[in-house]
Amino acid sequence: MNEKYETHEHDVLIIGAGGAGLRAAVEALNQGASVGVVCKSLLGKAHTVMAEGGIAAAMANVDAGDNWRTHFCDTMRGGKFLNNWRMAQLHAQEAPDRVRELEQWGALFDRTESGDIMQRAFGGHSFKRLCHVGDRTGLEMIRTLQDRGVSMGIDVYMECTVTRLLKDGDRIAGAFGYWREQGRFVLFKAKSIVIATGGIGKAWKITSNSWEYTGDGMALAYEAGAELMDMEFVQFHPTGMVWPPGVQGILVTEAVRGEGGILRNRLGERFMEKYDPKKMELSTRDVVARSIYTEVREGRGTEHGGAYLDISHKPADYVKRKLPGMYHQFKELADVDITSGPMEVGPTCHYVMGGIRVDAESTQASIPGLFAAGEAAAGLHGANRLGGNSLSDLLVFGRRAGAAAAKHAKETATPTLDAAQVEEAAREILAPFERRDGEGPYEIHRELENTLQSLVGIYRNEEDLNRALTEIERLNERASRVRVEGSRLFNPGWHLARDLKSMLTVAECVTRCALARKESRGAHSRLDFPEYDAAWGKKNNIIVRDGAGMTLRQIPVREMPEELQQLLADQK
Amino acid sequence: MMADKTFILRIKRQAAPQERVVWEEFEIRYRPHLNIITCLRDIAEKPITRAGDGTTPISYDANCLEEICGACAMLINGYPRQACSALVDNLEKPIRLEPLTKFPLIRDLQVDRSIMFENLKRMKCWVPIDGTYAIGPGPRMSPEQQQIGYPMARCITCGNCLEICPKVNDHTQFVGAAIINQVRLFNMHPTGNMHARERLEAMMGPGGIQDCDNAMNCVKVCPKSIPLTESNNEINRQVLKHAVWDWLNFSEGPTERDEEWKRLGIQK
Repeated sequence: MNEKYETHEHDVLIIGAGGAGLRAAVEALNQGASVGVVCKSLLGKAHTVMAEGGIAAAMANVDAGDNWRTHFCDTMRGGKFLNNWRMAQLHAQEAPDRVRELEQWGALFDRTESGDIMQRAFGGHSFKRLCHVGDRTGLEMIRTLQDRGVSMGIDVYMECTVTRLLKDGDRIAGAFGYWREQGRFVLFKAKSIVIATGGIGKAWKITSNSWEYTGDGMALAYEAGAELMDMEFVQFHPTGMVWPPGVQGILVTEAVRGEGGILRNRLGERFMEKYDPKKMELSTRDVVARSIYTEVREGRGTEHGGAYLDISHKPADYVKRKLPGMYHQFKELADVDITSGPMEVGPTCHYVMGGIRVDAESTQASIPGLFAAGEAAAGLHGANRLGGNSLSDLLVFGRRAGAAAAKHAKETATPTLDAAQVEEAAREILAPFERRDGEGPYEIHRELENTLQSLVGIYRNEEDLNRALTEIERLNERASRVRVEGSRLFNPGWHLARDLKSMLTVAECVTRCALARKESRGAHSRLDFPEYDAAWGKKNNIIVRDGAGMTLRQIPVREMPEELQQLLADQK
Repeated sequence: MMADKTFILRIKRQAAPQERVVWEEFEIRYRPHLNIITCLRDIAEKPITRAGDGTTPISYDANCLEEICGACAMLINGYPRQACSALVDNLEKPIRLEPLTKFPLIRDLQVDRSIMFENLKRMKCWVPIDGTYAIGPGPRMSPEQQQIGYPMARCITCGNCLEICPKVNDHTQFVGAAIINQVRLFNMHPTGNMHARERLEAMMGPGGIQDCDNAMNCVKVCPKSIPLTESNNEINRQVLKHAVWDWLNFSEGPTERDEEWKRLGIQK
């Protein structure tokens, strides 16, 4: 078999080269493991670079009263207590050291007057807690980790897509993939695999996520038999650009409304007068989101399915001074001048709290040797994520995953790759070339995007979700007969055909979990069940593969130890 | 119905480095605010040339589409820039797309920029701390000091500055402005500064600072407006000083960071 395919062997194979993947790689190397990192795009270009806000860590540089306990409580409250409490605890306790470490490695954080790392306030955090580098904290994180990883000599397999995890009995044995460039197959033999592939936003039409975010890691883990958890919790930002296409999905900061931006529908009506006449555009995030949703739903949306957000009545100088980032971004990326006309905005898919179910300490999934960290893993954020908690998540659990994966590799005998699994993976990925008829993947992807955008979006109800499920089944059926033309040499249609499979898998997971949870909690808003349900507040949804179908079950949220319960009670 | 407005995209194609160069023309349906990446996606979905011949999708790199990752650098009308922020409305037609020329070609518009990582290693752009001791509270740095480093840290490793540099060619090993800028950044960083001398030694070697001939093109094509010529000058100065100290055999001079801050009038 090794003769047939290019094969690489590592103790630890990391899939994904964003913040979590690189942090895991650095840690596993530190532990003396041989490490390979596979990524779909180029080193240093991962989605993490787009993170702006900062890294939440209770360093108490600005607000002396902050500590891990408060950070823990904030995270649990934000997650509506569905979080894995142990993850929230470890995260809050370890984040400050992870930030300091990053600084020692060369990151250049904004400073306070006294020379410490500056921290800013952010929604849901009781104290000024976000360590940041202007508005490009993610880039700084990636640049620092990339420099460190490169200097330590990580083996990076760039522009490579993993299509299947390989197992030796119950445990992980490696992965099968292909070089996007050449279409050649490649085999990885590894004792441990860390999934750090990020999120699933590309299954929605309007998303702030990059093209890599097709849910690959979750789908790979699911296919291999691992459990996914809390997939219904998908975070939408209420105002993302819906037009023009060059900037579609990009977040429009709430500061635009703060500076006097006015929301209007297609008919020119200032619709917030109906929903919150007192606070108008400055109403809470969920009310604004729901108002836009209602206007679009009732046929008063803009041409591209959003609402107009207009700041152009303010003097151009004022807008440029108060919202410089926004002004420049839209001017440069789409030649849209926000000082001269309205923006078209709507909900944009931003982050998924759900993912691979992992053990808090080791990040190990329900398959021995399989680990997951960052957005691909579930648990830390519960039903909703606080801003700033994702970058700290990457560092804290990236490091834990790297360490645990290296340890597991040390204690495990070299696995054997099963030729039958490899051949099956090769056959599957080549199948679209062999079909005589069938359609291309592009239209199916568009229909999936539209389905999720309109039926499994920011507000949900049973009828929509059922329709979505039927639609996803139909799309699954069409995708199983998808046909690709051309050769294996860089063929985006072929790549999409593969990514589509992952997207359909996660789309079905999200929809099934959303249907099951008959309540509204955190990022999951059911119009037909608008209230909290005490019973559902004690349950996590678990999805696992059962033959060709999905099984959904609920497990009780793990009971918090007395002292943490007390902490939450004290800090009310 | 009125026919859609269209425009022409001319793309230099090469299936592999040793293969023949072919120019292909595509007729793209015009939409307002269109950028180059959207055009390439249009072609990928329907790979048909202007003449009506079937062809293959164009190979290119792209990721964030917000000009923050640097992946989609290419020559657009002969000029190195990011395709995500290159707007069709602002470009002379027909629009010409070519790959960067200073990096090994992979295919079409895709090149191998890993030399930039190799150069980072060569110039020791990292902090050799192994994490075996307690982390402690971390160094202090004033906001003014941080503000000096901030623009330098904006680098997205796109390669534009190497592409436009006359000294980056087959005859030199010049690491280029992006790496020199990183050396400056690490040398002024509180922990990075501890190894400033090693970086300056590397900078005195082959492909180092002496290869820069001050064409000052780099600063004009940087999408992040990094003060690259300023960084070159600063490293030049550090290297000179380092050489003189070395020659006088002083083991300990003021650190590079102290010096740079002093010149900029910043109190510690």
